[in-house]
Amino acid sequence: MSWPAVFEAELLRLGLQPRRARQLSTETVQQAAEHASAPADIFGPAHLYARHLVSELTVTAPVPMRTTGPVLLRLTGVGKRYRRQNVFHDVSLTVRGGEVAAIVGANGCGKSTLLRICAGLTRPTSGTVERTRRVGLVPQDGGTAGWLTAEEHFRLFGAAAGMARPRAASTGDHLAARLAWRPRRDQRVQQLSGGTRQKLNLVLGELHSPDLLLLDEPYQGFDQGAYLDFWQQVFAWRDAGRAIVVVTHLLHDLANVDHVLDLSS
Amino acid sequence: MTALVVASLSAREVGRRRLALALMVSLPLWFYLVRHAQAGSSIRMLTLGIGWAISTLTLFVVNASRTVDPRLRLTGASVLGIVGGRLLAMTGVGLALATGYGLLAVVDQKPLHPWSVMLMMVVTAIVAAPLGSLIGAVLPRELEGAFALFSFSAVQMLADPGQLVAKLLPFWSSREIGNYAIDGGSTDLIWRGLAHGAAVWVICTAGTVGFFAWRLRLARYPEPRP
Repeated sequence: MSWPAVFEAELLRLGLQPRRARQLSTETVQQAAEHASAPADIFGPAHLYARHLVSELTVTAPVPMRTTGPVLLRLTGVGKRYRRQNVFHDVSLTVRGGEVAAIVGANGCGKSTLLRICAGLTRPTSGTVERTRRVGLVPQDGGTAGWLTAEEHFRLFGAAAGMARPRAASTGDHLAARLAWRPRRDQRVQQLSGGTRQKLNLVLGELHSPDLLLLDEPYQGFDQGAYLDFWQQVFAWRDAGRAIVVVTHLLHDLANVDHVLDLSS
Repeated sequence: MTALVVASLSAREVGRRRLALALMVSLPLWFYLVRHAQAGSSIRMLTLGIGWAISTLTLFVVNASRTVDPRLRLTGASVLGIVGGRLLAMTGVGLALATGYGLLAVVDQKPLHPWSVMLMMVVTAIVAAPLGSLIGAVLPRELEGAFALFSFSAVQMLADPGQLVAKLLPFWSSREIGNYAIDGGSTDLIWRGLAHGAAVWVICTAGTVGFFAWRLRLARYPEPRP
């Protein structure tokens, strides 16, 4: 396929109207022609530029007034000590439905520990946690079985959530498609790339439609396109009224989030 | 339902590890062949090999799931569903192995009571799965768990049957049933063996469930106030 055709197809895949996609494709080719260059020389790979353009259009479009929902997570004065070492103390955070909160901080400051406390897998030493019952956790790594396929993971996590097998499989496939990934039936998780494994982790975290999503640097191994897809997905969850808490160390992620909790401070 | 899905996927996971499976299946055979000339001893060694193979397999399956289990709990799975499913799968694998080797021993060695040789193998497999699972629960890293199992098997092999320590070991049930199967005598040996096996099974299963209930416990947070 030619560069404009790939570009236009990617724009369509990302949800643009056909007329708008055609218009952008024509304009992009014209811009390249004005510089007497091929589009690929100026804009790089067509699919990546399409994703970049869509993300830019999303950011520059007038942001509608979003309404936030009920409180889904509230931390009040939460602290954690391991033996004599204080990991963090007096952390407070309130996240409502329709909001994204980012937890940032230096290595070892307790970002993942705080996320595990939010999940209920680790108990805080002090403070109180109030949390909605339906929660999904996406760990930084691990959390999958290397000898099983993605479809078998959908079945396993679906069974844990009380979902019937066909529904778990179709939901998993649908969520994977939103991350531009189509799982192969015969491919085991250990044969997947690091980025694709993280996509599986994201799908498993969301499979049972939790109200609160806890994401621990879930984009490890993502390429640029997958990274943009990921943030689009986060904002789609937010627009659907869910609360998202994401651990990140990439400061440019923070422009579009509603709360930033810096554990280093 | 969760237990059945965990069981079927655990079995599938093990089935895909062809080399590990082949080594696991062949392990009891070496025990058997080393003592092949001595009928009774070879059958006793065979049961030890089966016990060691199944408990080690279960230990590694349990340890391999360490990062998956908390997520399953968070998604809604019960501890019983997770632990029970895995035990079901490993017991099934153990029973298949025990049946195969039991038939081999019966055909090859022509023991006094063939049915009790089969029973001896089956009891070993049924006890071995929760034993491996308990060690995996207490020692969640492979190396430590493997050494613990190695110690159990070594002591089981070397302990004087007359000593108290032999009676406290997990596979003493197989030895008791084996005494009847190979040497003959009172059926009390069978009942004592079955009672010991049942006690070990209950202790190991309850211990596994208890440890996992503690390790996979979730904090109960209240719903947020408006």
